[in-house]
Amino acid sequence: MGLLNPANLLYALSVAALIAIYLRARSRPTIEVSSLIIFEEAPAPVANSRVLRLDLPFWLEALALGALSLALAGFYFRVYGAAGGHRTHALVFDLGAAMNARGDDGTAFDAARAAARRVIANAPEGDSFAIVTYALAAGAAGAPTAGRAELNRVLDGLKPTDVAANPAALRAALVDARAADTIDLFANRPAPPVIVEDAGLTAPPRFHRVGANAANLAIVSLDPGVPRSSLGRALIRNFSYHPQTCELEITAGGRTVFHSGFIIEPRAELVVPFGPVHDGGLVEAQILTRDGLAADNVRYALAPSIAQMRALVLSPDPGVRDDLARILLAINPNFLVTAADPNLTNAFDRRQRFALAMLHDCGDAGVAADARLYIFPEPLLIGTKQPPILPVTGSVAAAEMRRRAGVGELATPVLLGPARIVKLPGWMEATSEGGGAGERDEFALTAAGRARDGAVGMIAFDVRNHLLLDPDRLDALLAAIGTIRRLIAPPDVMIEPTGAIVTAPVFARAALLAPDGGRRMLTPDRWGRVRFQPLLAGRYTLAGGGQTISIYANYYDAGESDLSGAAPPAAVSSSPPRAAPAPAAGARHYHARTIGTLLAAAALMLFLLESIVLTRRAARWSARHV
Amino acid sequence: MLAARAFEPDFLRRLDGLMMQARRIRAPRAGRRVLGRSQGAGIELEDFREYAPGDDLRFLDWNALARLDDLKIRTFRPERQIEVTIMVDASASMGLPADDDKLGFALTLAAGLAYIGMSENDPVRIAVFSGHGPAARFAATPFFRRRESYAEFRPFFGAVRGGGETRLSEAAGLLLGQRRAPGVAMIVSDFLVGPGDYETAFNDLLAAGFEAKAVHVMGDRESAVDYPPGNYRVRDCETGVVRDVSFGPREMEECRRRIAAHAEALADFCKRRGVMYARAFGASKLDEVVVNEFPRLGVMA
Repeated sequence: MGLLNPANLLYALSVAALIAIYLRARSRPTIEVSSLIIFEEAPAPVANSRVLRLDLPFWLEALALGALSLALAGFYFRVYGAAGGHRTHALVFDLGAAMNARGDDGTAFDAARAAARRVIANAPEGDSFAIVTYALAAGAAGAPTAGRAELNRVLDGLKPTDVAANPAALRAALVDARAADTIDLFANRPAPPVIVEDAGLTAPPRFHRVGANAANLAIVSLDPGVPRSSLGRALIRNFSYHPQTCELEITAGGRTVFHSGFIIEPRAELVVPFGPVHDGGLVEAQILTRDGLAADNVRYALAPSIAQMRALVLSPDPGVRDDLARILLAINPNFLVTAADPNLTNAFDRRQRFALAMLHDCGDAGVAADARLYIFPEPLLIGTKQPPILPVTGSVAAAEMRRRAGVGELATPVLLGPARIVKLPGWMEATSEGGGAGERDEFALTAAGRARDGAVGMIAFDVRNHLLLDPDRLDALLAAIGTIRRLIAPPDVMIEPTGAIVTAPVFARAALLAPDGGRRMLTPDRWGRVRFQPLLAGRYTLAGGGQTISIYANYYDAGESDLSGAAPPAAVSSSPPRAAPAPAAGARHYHARTIGTLLAAAALMLFLLESIVLTRRAARWSARHV
Repeated sequence: MLAARAFEPDFLRRLDGLMMQARRIRAPRAGRRVLGRSQGAGIELEDFREYAPGDDLRFLDWNALARLDDLKIRTFRPERQIEVTIMVDASASMGLPADDDKLGFALTLAAGLAYIGMSENDPVRIAVFSGHGPAARFAATPFFRRRESYAEFRPFFGAVRGGGETRLSEAAGLLLGQRRAPGVAMIVSDFLVGPGDYETAFNDLLAAGFEAKAVHVMGDRESAVDYPPGNYRVRDCETGVVRDVSFGPREMEECRRRIAAHAEALADFCKRRGVMYARAFGASKLDEVVVNEFPRLGVMA
């Protein structure tokens, strides 16, 4: 017997309030009678009865309030009996990439599944199980059920993903599972105590550590270099505490450009130069050596095209023209850049079509380009008939970048120059955000999107005074490069990290083919874009609207790929010292049984009874004070 | 209001066959002769009947004796003139408990008695009284003799309002102060006064030659002492005196006993003084009162 939330016992003060109200109400009501002859010799019997004489409604109300207070305080009984019966269990599975780690007896997830089956088999018949998973987000795999066949079917349908398990998702999963009598957590690493605490669990979950120590190599990054110009680089990391041999193969355009084996020191990284590749296009690096985790053994990159492309840089500021041209050539030296002042009439050949037009603080009238990048977009000029693609709604004297795609919240906001606030069309997505210096309102600082007539990018801040080349404002340069890369990327190939939201303009319903062979249909939004979240590393194919787009999903997470932790063998599930062992069938032990529902029901019945008593009195006496 | 029931056809139909018996038959005043149904001395021949020993030979029909050689006694309809005044207590105590509507009940009884009184074509009036001293009130209707005039009471009933203290002796004094010929005086009241008051009232009426009748009215709830248990401060609605009391089953039983004792004391006094006494406890028992209690007032079929 005890209280789960003793602080809520403060609600019992309502009984004291009831007594005070009651005593006040018990003060003698005055009634007018026809004559005192009838009452002459019937005075109050004893003085103390005036205060202590309590009637039935009072006791009913006091009992009801007491019951409600106990219910709020979480009153429970410690019941000794068989575990189970009609108990509920929650099986929480980590579906992060590390659960794909392969040992001698299969993957870590196989071990988790086997451990879960043992828990289910040991539970008494009638116990129900809820299966909760988490990786990027938490979710329930089906409704809670006591059917063993249904549970096995759900377990068979679970698959780990190639994304890192999100701590917030773990917290959400534990919150989802906390209503169960017992929680079993199957993961390759224990849940941080702070997360368990945040989830508000009354008892720590039973942790089943699965997965073995395994040597793992991962491709951390892949730089394809510039075709026929500069070397590419692959960064390989050894997570093992032992030297590992690594056989690496790099292919570009279907041709092997690098294939070699080497030894990597324990817990070290190795930069492997290769190339330069001969042609632009997809570059794929793959570790052929068998290791713990396969998802981080493949990585894709896109080498810039070797085809000579024309780019136009328009800016009234010669310094800006020079900076933008340099950056563009750094991204792809095969660009043939034309830099011009937009105020000069014959600065460039207006019949020429450009692959990319970078328009700084000027309009795009008369420019034919496959992609346009508006930098510090020009406001709508009076007399302009055609509305601009990017309407400027305001400006700030000094902006600061606070958030950038792929990085998230910046540790220190980057102070920029003047910026113009642009109302983005729905088909564009912000790639970095910020606001005016010292202001709370935020707006997009860089954005990119693809309309039917080509790709459009936007850089809202002014890049005068060599802002993009300022080493203290490197995030501004990276945001600009990222935006330019999006604009010049081929429309049919995308390289994205797993777990990212991929947006592809197909303008029709499209079929998505996943790396594991799974297929599903995607419906475009009002701007013709389909969105999905690649959870597996590898190649996705999106076909629809007469086009086919290949999306290559790369996976790497330093925490998840590190399988060298001191974990016991996968075949043996273990629990932390505080965790209780799984209850055996028919085992008897003490467990708390709350009776909050019963108490609340009793309180309602007492209130109902009081209402009946009062109604009967009112009908009988027809007196206002009843 | 309960008094409205006094004018309902069903109620009146039940009273149609009843008549009021009067102990004293008074000679009519000059020019105002009224015929009654009771056997007695009079000038209008009503019937013949066989002679019985002891009959007054003055009423022997000598012509019939000479012609038929049979002894026949002539009977006459009596001549009577009895003013009936029905005095209804309209003090504040008649208004409580409110849901009992004692005043309405008393007016209904008074109306019923007036209707019965009219059966003999006696002049009947209804009066209400309350208060004492300068605030004493005695309001009465004109005398009505015929039942066709019964509806004339209705406007008077509508104007009656309860209030003031109960002073039966003062009300009797006001009636006697009108110096009318003695008749029948009925007092319809809850008699929630001291014994001295109602004794004085009836003694004065009897001394003046009135035939006095008492109708003791109480409400349903009042007579049952039906109050919720608890501690109360009760206030006399007439005097304003306040008293703390506690109510429980035992106390309520004590109150009921006191009411019974009070009623018994009144009935005993009436019996001793030749005052007809009827008890009407509870408006819900109106029919029962008409059947069982009205005969005590000299009402007969």
